Amino acid sequence: MLNYAIKRINGALLVVVAVSVITFVMLTQISGNAAMLALGTDATAEQLAQLEHSLGLDLPWYLQYLGWVKNLFHLDFGTSALYGENVLTLVLQRLPVTLSLAVLSMLMALIAAGFLGVASAVKKGSIIDILSRSLMQIGAAIPGFWIGLIFIIYLALGKKWFPASGFVAPGDSFTGYLQSIFLPSLVLAIGEVGPLLRAVRTSMLQSLQQDYILMAKVQGLPAWKIYIKYGLRGALAAPLNVAGMQFAKLLGGTTVVESVFSLPGLGRLVLVAVEQRDIVLLQGAVMFITLAVVLISLLADLLTAWMNPRIRLNEGGNAA
Amino acid sequence: MKKPNWNLVLGCALLLIVIAACLLSFFYLPYPPNVMDNAHAYLQPGQAAGHLLGTDQYGRDILSRIMVGSRTVLLIGFVSVSGGAVCGCVLGASAAMIKGIYGSIVMRAIEGLMAFPGTLLALMLVAVVGRGQWGAILAIGIYTIAPFARLVYTLILESESLLCIKAARSFGTGPLRLLSHYYLPVLLPRLLTQFSASVGSAIMTEAALSFLGLGVQPPNASWGLMLSEAKQYALLYPYLAVAPGAAIFMAVLGFHLLSDGLNDILITRRSEQ
Repeated sequence: MLNYAIKRINGALLVVVAVSVITFVMLTQISGNAAMLALGTDATAEQLAQLEHSLGLDLPWYLQYLGWVKNLFHLDFGTSALYGENVLTLVLQRLPVTLSLAVLSMLMALIAAGFLGVASAVKKGSIIDILSRSLMQIGAAIPGFWIGLIFIIYLALGKKWFPASGFVAPGDSFTGYLQSIFLPSLVLAIGEVGPLLRAVRTSMLQSLQQDYILMAKVQGLPAWKIYIKYGLRGALAAPLNVAGMQFAKLLGGTTVVESVFSLPGLGRLVLVAVEQRDIVLLQGAVMFITLAVVLISLLADLLTAWMNPRIRLNEGGNAA
Repeated sequence: MKKPNWNLVLGCALLLIVIAACLLSFFYLPYPPNVMDNAHAYLQPGQAAGHLLGTDQYGRDILSRIMVGSRTVLLIGFVSVSGGAVCGCVLGASAAMIKGIYGSIVMRAIEGLMAFPGTLLALMLVAVVGRGQWGAILAIGIYTIAPFARLVYTLILESESLLCIKAARSFGTGPLRLLSHYYLPVLLPRLLTQFSASVGSAIMTEAALSFLGLGVQPPNASWGLMLSEAKQYALLYPYLAVAPGAAIFMAVLGFHLLSDGLNDILITRRSEQ
């Protein structure tokens, strides 16, 4: 286990380095000169040189990069030009919204995928199996912003069951909070349920072929005991790993849904940074989200390996 | 009795509709797609003869705009994924053949690209290359490099132990000939399914970017953009949101089903034998 963990952590560190280089080079070296952006087009050459010097832009790119990384270690993500605030503060302000969406949508997707996945594996080829497999395809192909818009039109504006937009803090009203994140989470869950359902089904089918399932059947145990206690238990590792990855990816994948439901989350912050070309904000937010994603995936992998020894024995070499 | 490959049949059927709409749009459109006609604004589907899917807030015929939008969608899908696939294959194959420091640097960069979650990479790329149709193509193209590079890299490493490839190597076959004559047959089925799935995802990403106002710019027709315009009138005229969303759904589902169908024919069946 320790060997696997060390390999996996090394891999994650390398990915973080790659991510930070890509983010830095792409946003600062290619997208134009920050000093020029700040001063506008009618700045004199001297003003430009002065600002470049004070921002450290006259240094070679690798020195600039090292300076930026050094600041990251001190949790200094820079100051947003648009908001005039520390990027980390801005990100942390918006994190609860995105986190709420990610947690609730994963819960919804897990419940649906667990139920449908087990049922479709146990009754392979039945109506429920066909329905589940259709749901996998439909969930992956349906645009979140479309289904979100339809939910708003019919469930929020039409039936008035939910607010059409905005976020209610859980401290103000807990039911209001749940109502405000229910529809966006449902939209995200529809997108997430497919891969999860596939993982539960495949893993459950494999688990049902094991000898101990046959043994349990021969012993005449009740069906729920065979399928849930023995079948599902042996089939949990892979779907939980998929769920961990999906949860991590959701931190950076809520932009569209947040924009449809006008929620002040991380995705909207990134979108504003892109629209207004606030490079420092974008850089900081992207780095924060991606670091969180790498960390969560790492934890998910370690957890799966701990649950399922076969992984760390077979795939110990594939640190990714 | 052989079971029909429903994925393939359904996928092809959906794609045929999209491609037919695209081809037809070059010869015949019910109405000019960008001409505004305020006298005929907000016609519901079927309310007026000739406007099968109704008209939008400027009186533009929705069916015509959907048909013209299919050109943008297919163009962006194919151009960006083809470019990304070629770059990805070259990077992945070279990394697998050369290995060493070059190989590990390339593959670490690819893993770095794959670590960006969801639309984050595409959004960041749009901030770099700028908005609009070509910005979207470039962003989606770069976004597509990583999965192809990784696929080619792992497949080449996996098949290195195949007897035919070991034999070819022992005869002193050069790396380019090895790739084109020995690895390509192994790679091709996987590349085809990946290509089809990637075009589906590219269409979805383009629609999302256009919906966010970062992709195709008005007055040009794109399905994502039409949905974003429909959002403003959602309360009074919900029908505006139906057709563009259904079109995106159809195209994406079509490419995904095609990918799964190809997978059933080319990969699963072979490994079952």
